[in-house]
Amino acid sequence: MKVNVEDLVKRIPNTGDFISVDSEKCTMCERCLIVCVMNLWKRKDDAAYIVEDYQSRCLECGACYQVCESDAIRFRYPSGGTGIVYEKG
Amino acid sequence: MTNYDVVIVGAGPGGSIAAKEAAEKGLKTIFFERGRRPGEKNASGCGLGPRMWLDFDFMKELTPDECPSMRAGAAARNYFVNSEDEVSSYIMTRPTESVTYEPAKSFITMNVYRSEFDPWLAKYATDAGAELKTSTLIVGLLKEDDKVVGVIDERGEKYRGLVIGADGVISTVARESGLRTRWEQNQVTIVPQYDFAVSPEKIDDIMGDEALAVWWSSTFPAAYQVFFNDGFHIGLGNWMTWWDKNPLYYLNRCMNLKYFQRLVRILEAKPREFQCHLLPWLGYPNNTHTDNVILIGDAGGFPCPLEAEGIYPAMITARVSVEVAAEAISEGDTSKEFLSRFDEGWKKTSVGEDFETGPELASLWRALPFSPKENMSWLVPLISEVFGGIIDWSQPHGKRIRQVASQIKSYLPKMVPMLLKEILPLLTATLGEEKMELVTDPEKLLASMPELEKVIAQAFMIDDSDEEE
Repeated sequence: MKVNVEDLVKRIPNTGDFISVDSEKCTMCERCLIVCVMNLWKRKDDAAYIVEDYQSRCLECGACYQVCESDAIRFRYPSGGTGIVYEKG
Repeated sequence: MTNYDVVIVGAGPGGSIAAKEAAEKGLKTIFFERGRRPGEKNASGCGLGPRMWLDFDFMKELTPDECPSMRAGAAARNYFVNSEDEVSSYIMTRPTESVTYEPAKSFITMNVYRSEFDPWLAKYATDAGAELKTSTLIVGLLKEDDKVVGVIDERGEKYRGLVIGADGVISTVARESGLRTRWEQNQVTIVPQYDFAVSPEKIDDIMGDEALAVWWSSTFPAAYQVFFNDGFHIGLGNWMTWWDKNPLYYLNRCMNLKYFQRLVRILEAKPREFQCHLLPWLGYPNNTHTDNVILIGDAGGFPCPLEAEGIYPAMITARVSVEVAAEAISEGDTSKEFLSRFDEGWKKTSVGEDFETGPELASLWRALPFSPKENMSWLVPLISEVFGGIIDWSQPHGKRIRQVASQIKSYLPKMVPMLLKEILPLLTATLGEEKMELVTDPEKLLASMPELEKVIAQAFMIDDSDEEE
Protein backbone atom coordinates (compact mmCIF):
# COMPACT_ATOMS: atom_id res chain seq x y z
CA MET A 1 0.00 0.00 0.00
CA LYS A 2 1.35 3.39 -0.97
CA VAL A 3 0.82 6.13 1.58
CA ASN A 4 2.42 9.55 1.40
CA VAL A 5 3.30 10.28 5.01
CA GLU A 6 3.67 14.01 4.34
CA ASP A 7 -0.08 14.17 3.63
CA LEU A 8 -0.82 12.71 7.06
CA VAL A 9 0.78 15.37 9.24
CA LYS A 10 -0.75 18.57 10.69
CA ARG A 11 1.31 21.41 12.07
CA ILE A 12 1.26 25.02 13.19
CA PRO A 13 3.85 27.15 11.33
CA ASN A 14 6.38 29.65 12.67
CA THR A 15 8.40 27.17 14.68
CA GLY A 16 11.62 29.13 14.34
CA ASP A 17 14.88 27.29 13.78
CA PHE A 18 15.20 24.30 16.05
CA ILE A 19 17.72 21.96 14.40
CA SER A 20 21.21 22.84 13.26
CA VAL A 21 24.36 20.95 12.42
CA ASP A 22 28.02 21.71 13.05
CA SER A 23 29.60 20.26 9.91
CA GLU A 24 33.06 20.47 11.50
CA LYS A 25 31.97 17.90 14.10
CA CYS A 26 30.09 15.63 11.67
CA THR A 27 31.92 12.36 11.03
CA MET A 28 29.43 11.29 8.35
CA CYS A 29 28.45 8.13 10.20
CA GLU A 30 25.10 8.47 8.38
CA ARG A 31 22.98 7.38 11.36
CA CYS A 32 20.82 10.51 10.99
CA LEU A 33 20.23 9.65 7.32
CA ILE A 34 19.09 6.15 8.25
CA VAL A 35 16.79 6.88 11.19
CA CYS A 36 14.94 10.03 10.03
CA VAL A 37 11.55 8.68 8.98
CA MET A 38 10.85 11.86 7.01
CA ASN A 39 14.19 11.59 5.15
CA LEU A 40 15.19 15.14 6.05
CA TRP A 41 18.94 14.47 6.28
CA LYS A 42 21.15 14.44 3.17
CA ARG A 43 24.81 14.06 2.45
CA LYS A 44 27.00 16.72 0.85
CA ASP A 45 30.74 16.17 0.58
CA ASP A 46 31.90 15.03 4.02
CA ALA A 47 29.02 16.23 6.14
CA ALA A 48 25.33 15.66 6.69
CA TYR A 49 22.89 18.52 6.30
CA ILE A 50 19.19 18.94 6.96
CA VAL A 51 16.90 20.05 4.12
CA GLU A 52 15.96 23.73 4.07
CA ASP A 53 12.24 23.18 4.58
CA TYR A 54 12.69 20.86 7.59
CA GLN A 55 10.60 23.18 9.78
CA SER A 56 7.52 22.30 7.77
CA ARG A 57 8.27 18.55 7.59
CA CYS A 58 9.97 17.47 10.85
CA LEU A 59 8.01 15.33 13.35
CA GLU A 60 10.10 16.57 16.31
CA CYS A 61 11.00 13.02 17.37
CA GLY A 62 14.61 14.00 18.15
CA ALA A 63 16.08 10.84 16.59
CA CYS A 64 18.77 12.78 14.69
CA TYR A 65 19.96 14.43 17.90
CA GLN A 66 19.88 11.11 19.77
CA VAL A 67 21.92 9.13 17.22
CA CYS A 68 24.57 11.83 16.70
CA GLU A 69 27.40 10.47 18.83
CA SER A 70 29.76 13.18 17.53
CA ASP A 71 27.48 15.84 19.03
CA ALA A 72 27.23 17.66 15.70
CA ILE A 73 23.43 18.00 15.72
CA ARG A 74 21.78 20.58 17.94
CA PHE A 75 18.11 20.13 18.65
CA ARG A 76 15.50 21.89 20.77
CA TYR A 77 11.77 21.74 20.42
CA PRO A 78 9.95 24.34 18.29
CA SER A 79 8.56 27.41 20.03
CA GLY A 80 5.66 26.71 22.37
CA GLY A 81 2.33 26.36 20.56
CA THR A 82 3.91 25.69 17.15
CA GLY A 83 5.01 22.68 15.15
CA ILE A 84 3.54 19.20 14.93
CA VAL A 85 0.00 18.53 16.17
CA TYR A 86 -1.09 14.96 16.83
CA GLU A 87 -4.86 14.67 17.03
CA LYS A 88 -4.85 10.87 17.08
CA GLY A 89 -1.61 10.10 18.89
CA MET B 1 10.89 35.74 38.54
CA THR B 2 8.09 33.89 40.29
CA ASN B 3 8.69 31.58 43.22
CA TYR B 4 7.08 28.17 43.48
CA ASP B 5 7.63 25.14 45.66
CA VAL B 6 7.59 22.81 42.69
CA VAL B 7 8.20 23.56 39.01
CA ILE B 8 7.21 20.71 36.71
CA VAL B 9 8.37 20.61 33.10
CA GLY B 10 5.81 18.70 31.03
CA ALA B 11 2.06 18.14 31.27
CA GLY B 12 1.85 14.54 30.14
CA PRO B 13 0.60 11.85 32.55
CA GLY B 14 3.74 12.16 34.73
CA GLY B 15 3.67 15.95 34.89
CA SER B 16 -0.07 16.11 35.55
CA ILE B 17 0.01 13.57 38.39
CA ALA B 18 3.02 15.33 39.91
CA ALA B 19 1.18 18.67 39.66
CA LYS B 20 -2.06 17.25 41.07
CA GLU B 21 -0.48 15.57 44.05
CA ALA B 22 1.88 18.47 44.78
CA ALA B 23 -1.04 20.91 44.77
CA GLU B 24 -3.04 18.55 47.02
CA LYS B 25 -0.17 18.64 49.50
CA GLY B 26 -0.49 22.42 49.56
CA LEU B 27 2.67 23.05 47.57
CA LYS B 28 2.70 26.05 45.24
CA THR B 29 2.91 24.30 41.90
CA ILE B 30 3.26 25.19 38.22
CA PHE B 31 3.51 22.83 35.25
CA PHE B 32 4.41 23.60 31.66
CA GLU B 33 3.25 22.25 28.31
CA ARG B 34 4.92 23.17 25.01
CA GLY B 35 1.78 22.30 23.02
CA ARG B 36 -1.32 24.48 23.00
CA ARG B 37 -2.92 21.86 25.24
CA PRO B 38 -1.62 18.70 26.93
CA GLY B 39 -1.45 15.66 24.67
CA GLU B 40 -1.20 17.39 21.29
CA LYS B 41 2.51 16.57 20.98
CA ASN B 42 2.20 12.98 22.12
CA ALA B 43 2.05 9.86 20.03
CA SER B 44 2.12 6.64 21.93
CA GLY B 45 0.73 3.15 21.32
CA CYS B 46 -1.49 3.77 23.29
CA GLY B 47 -2.88 1.55 26.00
CA LEU B 48 -3.51 2.32 29.65
CA GLY B 49 -2.56 -0.60 31.91
CA PRO B 50 -5.07 -1.87 34.48
CA ARG B 51 -2.65 -1.18 37.35
CA MET B 52 -3.62 2.47 36.90
CA TRP B 53 -7.14 1.63 38.18
CA LEU B 54 -5.62 0.03 41.29
CA ASP B 55 -3.37 2.94 42.17
CA PHE B 56 -5.36 5.96 40.98
CA ASP B 57 -8.95 6.14 42.22
CA PHE B 58 -10.05 8.76 39.74
CA MET B 59 -9.40 6.39 36.80
CA LYS B 60 -12.91 5.02 37.30
CA GLU B 61 -14.16 8.46 36.24
CA LEU B 62 -12.70 7.97 32.75
CA THR B 63 -15.75 7.49 30.53
CA PRO B 64 -16.51 7.80 26.80
CA ASP B 65 -18.11 11.19 27.57
CA GLU B 66 -14.72 12.44 28.71
CA CYS B 67 -12.68 10.39 26.29
CA PRO B 68 -14.63 9.32 23.18
CA SER B 69 -11.70 7.34 21.72
CA MET B 70 -11.82 4.76 24.55
CA ARG B 71 -11.89 1.12 23.54
CA ALA B 72 -11.06 -1.75 25.88
CA GLY B 73 -8.29 -3.99 24.58
CA ALA B 74 -10.04 -7.05 26.01
CA ALA B 75 -8.38 -9.66 23.83
CA ALA B 76 -5.17 -9.72 21.85
CA ARG B 77 -4.37 -11.33 18.54
CA ASN B 78 -0.86 -12.64 18.02
CA TYR B 79 -0.01 -13.04 14.35
CA PHE B 80 3.15 -14.98 13.50
CA VAL B 81 4.79 -13.87 10.26
CA ASN B 82 7.35 -16.14 8.60
CA SER B 83 10.38 -15.33 6.45
CA GLU B 84 8.16 -15.28 3.33
CA ASP B 85 6.01 -12.49 4.81
CA GLU B 86 3.10 -14.87 5.32
CA VAL B 87 0.99 -15.09 8.46
CA SER B 88 1.77 -18.71 9.26
CA SER B 89 -0.17 -18.94 12.54
CA TYR B 90 -2.34 -16.83 14.76
CA ILE B 91 -3.24 -17.10 18.46
CA MET B 92 -5.87 -15.09 20.30
CA THR B 93 -5.50 -14.48 24.03
CA ARG B 94 -7.58 -12.70 26.65
CA PRO B 95 -6.93 -12.01 30.36
CA THR B 96 -6.24 -15.45 31.78
CA GLU B 97 -7.78 -17.23 34.77
CA SER B 98 -4.79 -16.36 36.96
CA VAL B 99 -5.50 -12.62 36.69
CA THR B 100 -6.66 -11.50 40.12
CA TYR B 101 -8.55 -8.21 39.95
CA GLU B 102 -10.92 -5.96 38.04
CA PRO B 103 -10.55 -4.26 35.63
CA ALA B 104 -7.58 -6.48 34.65
CA LYS B 105 -9.99 -9.42 34.26
CA SER B 106 -11.93 -7.37 31.70
CA PHE B 107 -9.17 -5.85 29.59
CA ILE B 108 -5.44 -6.02 28.95
CA THR B 109 -5.25 -2.32 28.10
CA MET B 110 -7.68 0.59 27.79
CA ASN B 111 -6.88 2.29 24.50
CA VAL B 112 -7.21 6.08 24.28
CA TYR B 113 -5.88 8.90 22.16
CA ARG B 114 -3.51 11.12 24.10
CA SER B 115 -5.18 14.25 22.70
CA GLU B 116 -8.17 13.31 24.88
CA PHE B 117 -6.56 11.52 27.82
CA ASP B 118 -3.81 14.02 28.67
CA PRO B 119 -6.08 17.09 28.94
CA TRP B 120 -8.52 15.05 31.04
CA LEU B 121 -5.71 14.18 33.44
CA ALA B 122 -4.29 17.72 33.51
CA LYS B 123 -7.67 19.04 34.63
CA TYR B 124 -7.37 17.09 37.89
CA ALA B 125 -4.14 19.00 38.52
CA THR B 126 -5.57 22.43 37.74
CA ASP B 127 -8.70 21.61 39.79
CA ALA B 128 -6.37 20.81 42.70
CA GLY B 129 -4.86 24.27 42.38
CA ALA B 130 -1.78 23.74 40.21
CA GLU B 131 -1.08 26.43 37.62
CA LEU B 132 -0.78 25.15 34.02
CA LYS B 133 1.11 27.20 31.45
CA THR B 134 0.55 25.97 27.88
CA SER B 135 2.29 26.94 24.61
CA THR B 136 5.38 27.44 26.74
CA LEU B 137 8.72 25.86 25.94
CA ILE B 138 11.22 25.53 28.76
CA VAL B 139 14.64 26.06 27.21
CA GLY B 140 16.98 26.10 30.18
CA LEU B 141 17.51 25.79 33.88
CA LEU B 142 17.98 28.68 36.24
CA LYS B 143 21.26 28.24 38.10
CA GLU B 144 22.91 29.90 41.08
CA ASP B 145 26.47 28.95 42.07
CA ASP B 146 26.25 26.22 39.45
CA LYS B 147 23.24 24.66 41.16
CA VAL B 148 19.81 24.37 39.59
CA VAL B 149 17.23 26.57 41.32
CA GLY B 150 14.48 26.69 38.70
CA VAL B 151 13.66 26.90 34.99
CA ILE B 152 13.67 29.50 32.20
CA ASP B 153 11.17 29.63 29.33
CA GLU B 154 11.89 30.74 25.77
CA ARG B 155 10.73 34.27 26.53
CA GLY B 156 13.27 34.52 29.34
CA GLU B 157 10.70 34.21 32.15
CA LYS B 158 12.17 32.59 35.25
CA TYR B 159 10.39 30.22 37.65
CA ARG B 160 12.08 29.25 40.88
CA GLY B 161 11.44 25.97 42.69
CA LEU B 162 12.32 22.31 42.97
CA VAL B 163 12.40 21.03 39.37
CA ILE B 164 10.60 17.87 38.32
CA GLY B 165 11.58 16.87 34.79
CA ALA B 166 8.54 15.25 33.19
CA ASP B 167 9.58 16.40 29.75
CA GLY B 168 9.85 13.11 27.96
CA VAL B 169 12.49 11.16 26.12
CA ILE B 170 14.55 14.11 24.85
CA SER B 171 14.52 15.87 28.19
CA THR B 172 15.76 19.44 28.41
CA VAL B 173 15.84 19.10 32.20
CA ALA B 174 18.07 16.01 31.98
CA ARG B 175 20.39 17.70 29.51
CA GLU B 176 20.67 21.09 31.20
CA SER B 177 21.12 19.59 34.67
CA GLY B 178 23.99 17.42 33.45
CA LEU B 179 22.14 14.17 34.19
CA ARG B 180 22.19 13.00 30.56
CA THR B 181 23.20 14.51 27.22
CA ARG B 182 21.66 11.65 25.26
CA TRP B 183 20.77 8.01 25.87
CA GLU B 184 23.07 5.14 25.03
CA GLN B 185 21.94 3.96 21.59
CA ASN B 186 20.75 0.65 23.05
CA GLN B 187 18.63 2.39 25.71
CA VAL B 188 16.17 4.10 23.41
CA THR B 189 13.93 3.06 20.53
CA ILE B 190 12.44 4.89 17.56
CA VAL B 191 8.79 4.15 16.92
CA PRO B 192 7.01 5.27 13.74
CA GLN B 193 3.28 4.60 13.62
CA TYR B 194 0.25 5.24 11.45
CA ASP B 195 -3.24 6.01 12.66
CA PHE B 196 -6.05 4.64 10.47
CA ALA B 197 -9.66 5.83 10.56
CA VAL B 198 -12.25 3.04 10.83
CA SER B 199 -15.94 3.22 11.69
CA PRO B 200 -16.68 1.95 15.20
CA GLU B 201 -19.32 -0.45 13.80
CA LYS B 202 -16.79 -2.08 11.47
CA ILE B 203 -14.36 -2.61 14.36
CA ASP B 204 -17.16 -4.08 16.50
CA ASP B 205 -18.24 -6.45 13.73
CA ILE B 206 -14.87 -7.57 12.46
CA MET B 207 -12.59 -7.42 15.48
CA GLY B 208 -15.18 -7.92 18.23
CA ASP B 209 -13.33 -7.37 21.48
CA GLU B 210 -9.98 -8.34 19.93
CA ALA B 211 -8.80 -4.76 20.09
CA LEU B 212 -5.06 -5.44 20.32
CA ALA B 213 -2.69 -7.28 18.05
CA VAL B 214 0.99 -8.03 17.89
CA TRP B 215 2.55 -8.99 14.57
CA TRP B 216 5.48 -11.19 15.63
CA SER B 217 7.67 -11.41 12.58
CA SER B 218 10.76 -12.94 11.00
CA THR B 219 11.24 -9.96 8.69
CA PHE B 220 10.50 -6.85 10.78
CA PRO B 221 10.59 -5.99 14.52
CA ALA B 222 7.32 -6.96 16.23
CA ALA B 223 4.58 -4.50 15.25
CA TYR B 224 1.65 -3.55 17.50
CA GLN B 225 -1.89 -2.77 16.42
CA VAL B 226 -4.11 -0.98 18.90
CA PHE B 227 -7.80 -0.29 18.21
CA PHE B 228 -9.54 2.82 19.45
CA ASN B 229 -13.22 3.64 19.20
CA ASP B 230 -12.94 4.88 15.61
CA GLY B 231 -9.49 3.88 14.40
CA PHE B 232 -6.30 2.00 15.04
CA HIS B 233 -2.56 2.48 15.34
CA ILE B 234 -0.06 0.28 13.60
CA GLY B 235 3.52 0.87 14.64
CA LEU B 236 6.82 -0.76 15.47
CA GLY B 237 10.14 0.09 17.02
CA ASN B 238 13.62 -1.08 17.82
CA TRP B 239 16.71 0.24 19.55
CA MET B 240 18.78 2.85 17.70
CA THR B 241 21.59 0.32 17.28
CA TRP B 242 19.42 -2.03 15.23
CA TRP B 243 18.43 -0.18 12.08
CA ASP B 244 20.16 -1.01 8.81
CA LYS B 245 17.40 0.69 6.79
CA ASN B 246 14.90 3.42 7.48
CA PRO B 247 12.42 2.41 10.23
CA LEU B 248 9.59 3.24 7.85
CA TYR B 249 10.79 0.53 5.44
CA TYR B 250 10.07 -2.08 8.13
CA LEU B 251 6.73 -0.59 9.14
CA ASN B 252 5.66 -0.51 5.49
CA ARG B 253 6.72 -4.14 5.20
CA CYS B 254 4.18 -5.01 7.90
CA MET B 255 1.49 -2.89 6.26
CA ASN B 256 2.15 -4.62 2.93
CA LEU B 257 1.48 -8.11 4.32
CA LYS B 258 -1.39 -9.65 2.36
CA TYR B 259 -3.10 -10.48 5.64
CA PHE B 260 -2.82 -6.89 6.85
CA GLN B 261 -4.06 -5.57 3.52
CA ARG B 262 -7.07 -7.86 3.76
CA LEU B 263 -7.85 -6.45 7.20
CA VAL B 264 -7.54 -2.90 5.88
CA ARG B 265 -9.97 -3.72 3.05
CA ILE B 266 -12.64 -5.38 5.17
CA LEU B 267 -12.35 -2.71 7.87
CA GLU B 268 -12.47 -0.03 5.13
CA ALA B 269 -9.60 1.57 7.04
CA LYS B 270 -8.12 4.85 5.77
CA PRO B 271 -4.71 6.24 6.75
CA ARG B 272 -5.39 9.33 8.88
CA GLU B 273 -2.20 10.44 10.63
CA PHE B 274 1.50 9.58 10.63
CA GLN B 275 3.48 9.90 13.84
CA CYS B 276 6.93 9.13 15.13
CA HIS B 277 8.42 9.22 18.62
CA LEU B 278 11.36 7.95 20.61
CA LEU B 279 10.79 5.68 23.58
CA PRO B 280 13.34 4.92 26.31
CA TRP B 281 13.54 1.15 26.84
CA LEU B 282 16.25 0.16 29.24
CA GLY B 283 17.07 -2.50 31.77
CA TYR B 284 17.49 -0.12 34.67
CA PRO B 285 16.97 3.63 35.19
CA ASN B 286 19.92 5.57 36.56
CA ASN B 287 20.87 9.25 36.94
CA THR B 288 17.32 10.03 38.01
CA HIS B 289 18.10 13.04 40.23
CA THR B 290 20.62 15.66 41.19
CA ASP B 291 20.60 18.76 43.39
CA ASN B 292 17.06 20.23 43.25
CA VAL B 293 16.09 18.07 40.23
CA ILE B 294 14.13 14.81 39.86
CA LEU B 295 13.40 13.07 36.54
CA ILE B 296 10.20 11.03 36.18
CA GLY B 297 8.46 9.02 33.45
CA ASP B 298 10.18 8.80 30.08
CA ALA B 299 12.62 11.56 31.07
CA GLY B 300 13.89 9.26 33.84
CA GLY B 301 13.87 6.09 31.70
CA PHE B 302 10.95 4.42 33.48
CA PRO B 303 8.96 2.63 30.74
CA CYS B 304 8.53 -1.07 31.55
CA PRO B 305 11.71 -3.00 30.61
CA LEU B 306 9.76 -5.80 28.90
CA GLU B 307 6.99 -4.14 26.91
CA ALA B 308 7.68 -0.43 27.41
CA GLU B 309 4.36 0.50 29.03
CA GLY B 310 5.07 4.15 29.81
CA ILE B 311 2.06 5.97 31.22
CA TYR B 312 1.63 3.99 34.42
CA PRO B 313 5.34 4.18 35.34
CA ALA B 314 5.23 7.94 34.65
CA MET B 315 2.29 8.37 37.02
CA ILE B 316 3.82 6.20 39.76
CA THR B 317 7.23 7.88 39.61
CA ALA B 318 5.41 11.25 39.63
CA ARG B 319 3.70 10.27 42.87
CA VAL B 320 6.99 9.20 44.48
CA SER B 321 8.78 12.35 43.26
CA VAL B 322 6.17 14.57 44.92
CA GLU B 323 6.34 12.68 48.22
CA VAL B 324 10.11 13.16 48.24
CA ALA B 325 9.82 16.80 47.09
CA ALA B 326 7.41 17.57 49.93
CA GLU B 327 9.78 16.06 52.50
CA ALA B 328 12.77 17.85 50.96
CA ILE B 329 10.97 21.21 51.01
CA SER B 330 9.74 20.82 54.58
CA GLU B 331 13.22 19.85 55.76
CA GLY B 332 14.86 22.59 53.69
CA ASP B 333 17.19 20.14 51.97
CA THR B 334 16.83 19.53 48.24
CA SER B 335 20.36 18.19 47.76
CA LYS B 336 21.13 15.25 45.53
CA GLU B 337 21.79 13.18 48.62
CA PHE B 338 18.38 13.94 50.11
CA LEU B 339 16.64 13.36 46.79
CA SER B 340 18.15 9.87 46.58
CA ARG B 341 15.01 9.01 48.57
CA PHE B 342 13.34 9.15 45.16
CA ASP B 343 15.27 6.05 44.05
CA GLU B 344 14.53 4.32 47.35
CA GLY B 345 10.87 5.20 46.87
CA TRP B 346 10.22 4.04 43.31
CA LYS B 347 12.11 0.80 43.92
CA LYS B 348 9.44 -0.10 46.49
CA THR B 349 6.59 0.37 44.01
CA SER B 350 5.07 -1.94 41.43
CA VAL B 351 7.32 -0.18 38.87
CA GLY B 352 10.39 -0.97 40.97
CA GLU B 353 9.33 -4.60 41.03
CA ASP B 354 9.37 -4.65 37.22
CA PHE B 355 12.93 -3.38 37.25
CA GLU B 356 14.13 -6.06 39.70
CA THR B 357 14.48 -8.25 36.63
CA GLY B 358 14.81 -5.29 34.26
CA PRO B 359 18.08 -6.20 32.52
CA GLU B 360 16.88 -9.78 31.94
CA LEU B 361 13.49 -8.63 30.62
CA ALA B 362 15.00 -6.05 28.27
CA SER B 363 17.50 -8.62 27.04
CA LEU B 364 14.74 -11.15 26.36
CA TRP B 365 12.81 -8.59 24.31
CA ARG B 366 15.97 -7.76 22.39
CA ALA B 367 16.57 -11.46 21.66
CA LEU B 368 13.06 -12.21 20.40
CA PRO B 369 10.76 -9.56 18.91
CA PHE B 370 13.68 -7.18 18.30
CA SER B 371 15.75 -9.86 16.53
CA PRO B 372 13.44 -10.89 13.71
CA LYS B 373 16.02 -12.45 11.41
CA GLU B 374 18.15 -14.08 14.10
CA ASN B 375 15.50 -15.61 16.35
CA MET B 376 11.94 -15.04 15.17
CA SER B 377 12.94 -16.77 11.92
CA TRP B 378 13.04 -20.12 13.78
CA LEU B 379 10.56 -19.32 16.56
CA VAL B 380 7.74 -18.51 14.13
CA PRO B 381 8.01 -21.82 12.19
CA LEU B 382 8.39 -23.65 15.51
CA ILE B 383 5.12 -22.16 16.81
CA SER B 384 3.42 -22.94 13.50
CA GLU B 385 4.75 -26.48 13.62
CA VAL B 386 3.30 -27.01 17.09
CA PHE B 387 -0.13 -25.56 16.33
CA GLY B 388 -0.42 -26.36 12.65
CA GLY B 389 1.53 -29.57 12.38
CA ILE B 390 -1.19 -31.88 13.62
CA ILE B 391 -4.12 -30.52 11.65
CA ASP B 392 -2.80 -32.17 8.53
CA TRP B 393 -4.08 -35.05 6.40
CA SER B 394 -0.93 -35.60 4.36
CA GLN B 395 0.24 -38.71 6.23
CA PRO B 396 -1.02 -41.18 8.82
CA HIS B 397 -1.16 -39.21 12.08
CA GLY B 398 1.53 -41.29 13.76
CA LYS B 399 3.90 -40.37 10.96
CA ARG B 400 2.92 -36.70 11.18
CA ILE B 401 3.75 -36.64 14.88
CA ARG B 402 7.20 -38.04 14.08
CA GLN B 403 7.65 -35.48 11.27
CA VAL B 404 6.63 -32.60 13.54
CA ALA B 405 8.93 -33.82 16.32
CA SER B 406 11.80 -34.13 13.88
CA GLN B 407 11.17 -30.62 12.54
CA ILE B 408 11.08 -29.19 16.07
CA LYS B 409 14.32 -31.03 16.81
CA SER B 410 15.95 -29.21 13.88
CA TYR B 411 15.34 -25.89 15.69
CA LEU B 412 17.07 -27.09 18.88
CA PRO B 413 20.59 -25.91 17.92
CA LYS B 414 19.21 -22.36 17.84
CA MET B 415 16.62 -22.73 20.56
CA VAL B 416 18.81 -24.20 23.31
CA PRO B 417 21.45 -21.43 23.31
CA MET B 418 18.66 -18.83 23.35
CA LEU B 419 16.99 -20.53 26.32
CA LEU B 420 20.28 -20.76 28.20
CA LYS B 421 21.22 -17.17 27.45
CA GLU B 422 17.84 -15.49 27.95
CA ILE B 423 15.38 -17.65 29.84
CA LEU B 424 17.62 -19.16 32.50
CA PRO B 425 18.96 -15.78 33.73
CA LEU B 426 15.38 -14.46 33.83
CA LEU B 427 14.16 -17.47 35.81
CA THR B 428 17.17 -17.21 38.11
CA ALA B 429 16.51 -13.51 38.70
CA THR B 430 12.81 -14.20 39.32
CA LEU B 431 13.09 -17.36 41.43
CA GLY B 432 16.44 -16.81 43.14
CA GLU B 433 19.54 -19.03 42.93
CA GLU B 434 18.32 -21.52 45.50
CA LYS B 435 14.99 -22.37 43.88
CA MET B 436 16.62 -22.27 40.47
CA GLU B 437 19.03 -24.96 41.55
CA LEU B 438 16.04 -27.05 42.53
CA VAL B 439 14.66 -26.76 39.01
CA THR B 440 17.90 -27.36 37.14
CA ASP B 441 19.48 -30.08 39.28
CA PRO B 442 17.67 -33.37 38.45
CA GLU B 443 18.76 -35.08 41.68
CA LYS B 444 17.47 -32.28 43.89
CA LEU B 445 14.30 -32.05 41.83
CA LEU B 446 13.58 -35.73 42.28
CA ALA B 447 14.56 -35.71 45.94
CA SER B 448 11.99 -32.99 46.59
CA MET B 449 9.28 -35.07 44.92
CA PRO B 450 9.64 -38.65 46.15
CA GLU B 451 6.40 -39.71 44.48
CA LEU B 452 7.69 -38.59 41.13
CA GLU B 453 10.89 -40.49 41.68
CA LYS B 454 8.88 -43.62 42.42
CA VAL B 455 6.71 -43.22 39.32
CA ILE B 456 9.70 -42.62 37.07
CA ALA B 457 11.47 -45.60 38.61
CA GLN B 458 8.42 -47.78 37.96
CA ALA B 459 8.02 -46.57 34.42
CA PHE B 460 11.58 -46.61 33.18
CA MET B 461 13.80 -48.69 35.39
CA ILE B 462 14.37 -52.25 34.38
CA ASP B 463 12.93 -54.65 36.84
CA ASP B 464 15.54 -57.09 38.19
CA SER B 465 13.15 -59.95 37.66
CA ASP B 466 12.91 -59.04 33.92
CA GLU B 467 16.65 -59.33 33.56
CA GLU B 468 16.71 -62.75 35.12
CA GLU B 469 14.21 -64.12 32.64
